[in-house]
Amino acid sequence: MLRIEDLHLSFGGIKALQGISFEAKPGEITGVIGPNGAGKTSLFNAISGFYKPDRGRVFFDGQDITGLSPDRRAELGIARTFQNIALFRGMTVLDNIKLGGHTRLKTNVWQALRYFGAAQREELELRRDIEERVINFLEIDHIRKYPITMLPYGLQKRVELGRALAMQPKVLMLDEPVAGMNREETADMARFILDVQEQFGTTILLVEHDMHMVMDICSHIVVLNFGQQIASGTPAEVSGNQDVIEAYLGAAA
Amino acid sequence: MGQFTQFAINGLMSGAIYALIAVGIVSVYKATKVVNFAHGYLIMFGAYFYFTFSVIVPGQAWAPDWLASWQPAWLLEMREGLPMFSPMGAVLDWVQNVPRILLGIAGALVCNAVVGRIIERTLMRPLMGQSIFAMIMVTVGLISIMSGAASIIWTADADFVPHIAPNAPIRFELFGTMIFLFGADLVNMLVALIIFAGIVLMVRYTKSGVAIRATAEDQSTAYSMGISVPKVFSRAWVLASTTGAIAGAILATRNGISPSLGLFGFSVLAIVLMGGLDSYIGVFLAAMAVGVMEALTQWQMGGDWAEIVPYVAVLLILLIRPHGLFGSKEVERI
Repeated sequence: MLRIEDLHLSFGGIKALQGISFEAKPGEITGVIGPNGAGKTSLFNAISGFYKPDRGRVFFDGQDITGLSPDRRAELGIARTFQNIALFRGMTVLDNIKLGGHTRLKTNVWQALRYFGAAQREELELRRDIEERVINFLEIDHIRKYPITMLPYGLQKRVELGRALAMQPKVLMLDEPVAGMNREETADMARFILDVQEQFGTTILLVEHDMHMVMDICSHIVVLNFGQQIASGTPAEVSGNQDVIEAYLGAAA
Repeated sequence: MGQFTQFAINGLMSGAIYALIAVGIVSVYKATKVVNFAHGYLIMFGAYFYFTFSVIVPGQAWAPDWLASWQPAWLLEMREGLPMFSPMGAVLDWVQNVPRILLGIAGALVCNAVVGRIIERTLMRPLMGQSIFAMIMVTVGLISIMSGAASIIWTADADFVPHIAPNAPIRFELFGTMIFLFGADLVNMLVALIIFAGIVLMVRYTKSGVAIRATAEDQSTAYSMGISVPKVFSRAWVLASTTGAIAGAILATRNGISPSLGLFGFSVLAIVLMGGLDSYIGVFLAAMAVGVMEALTQWQMGGDWAEIVPYVAVLLILLIRPHGLFGSKEVERI
């Protein structure tokens, strides 16, 4: 579904990514782990189009998308969340989520004026889809009218997931979805991620520090260290890998 | 009371023009976070373009006669025997000018849109992702370039430009006093208000409006939500330069044309700060308030004070509310 081939990225003298290659298989959850500064977020930014790689290619559904701008990639069906919550703080929960569906609306003002019915139908469809697929699904019905700033951190993360879901993505990229959450919130989030995979068959790519969660829900794990890919495999393979134990799990493992 | 109403109405009429100028500054700021110091000079270009297409072009030998002065038979007939300075005469004078007014406005809109696009593509777009401060300094540099360019391009002596509406005097009674105003001023105000309202509705209810609001809040998130941020940037600049063209045409009829027309941008920048850089409503109220304050100061204290008093008020408001009356506060996470 999403294939990365020999991706290189540097900022001046700093080599952020050196030859990353892996594939996120359709309908599976792929995890990217690594210590701080390993290049996980740089990888995400290269996949979603904010950074142009020096070398290497990104394929989506067999199509080379290396040269596309972020908005084009989003239209193709790549949605993401951010490490630091990036909700539109001046809007309500519902508006934020509806904004995710925004790019799917095809009608512009002139068409809307001429074919009012069609535009209205499209809007109603979007609304129903958001109701069922996002709001009920994520159990955030009770906060839909709330301004973002009033919500606790864990719920904000959930709303951000909802906004990404409203884009009806084929690939969902989650940048540290449970960072800073307590055990209970983490369990909730893990459950939602698994539900998304199960119900919508979405391909999921996940960057996370919480090892328990990654080992639990991912079927494939890629390990980065100082911009290099040091391991790739099933959770069992990766956690048995000597390089990984040294670089990341350290003495604790 | 009598004089008060008259001056307050005068103030509202100039306030509406300020609002029309301000809408360009706010739109560019909302979309790109750039405070456009050169907006007044964009307006000055709009005024010169209006002058070019409504005065210079129709005055050329190759231009058809009806463009300079349209005189169909029915018009000449109606003119027969009308006294000088009659309201009907003013309307008929205007009808003569309609072709060149339309050409002037169309020309100003198109040319200014092109100028806005060129600025965005060649100066702003390459700086995208760099510090906002660099982009703001570029707009400061633009001031010298644009005022210099204007005096090179338009060497012709600034001439009278046609009002965009019939300039018939209007008298009516309001609150027991006679109010006196010019038709052109009234229409200018209506035009400014309609454009302002149109833009506010567009930003609130249309798809591109949603794109602008999302970009205003967070560019990279908007980008990853499938909103083409570069397109939003160039739309904002085109919006600013076209509303600026209308404002320029109006200012040209009120204040005459010279490169110093660009200075208007700075007084309006103060108004924009007072209203809150990113709030259309706040800026509208501020523009109206400053317009009325100016007019009332002029009435009570004379023209010299009129240039000072409103801006002292702006400073005081900013001291109390640094983000302006309706501006959104940047919430810093600690």
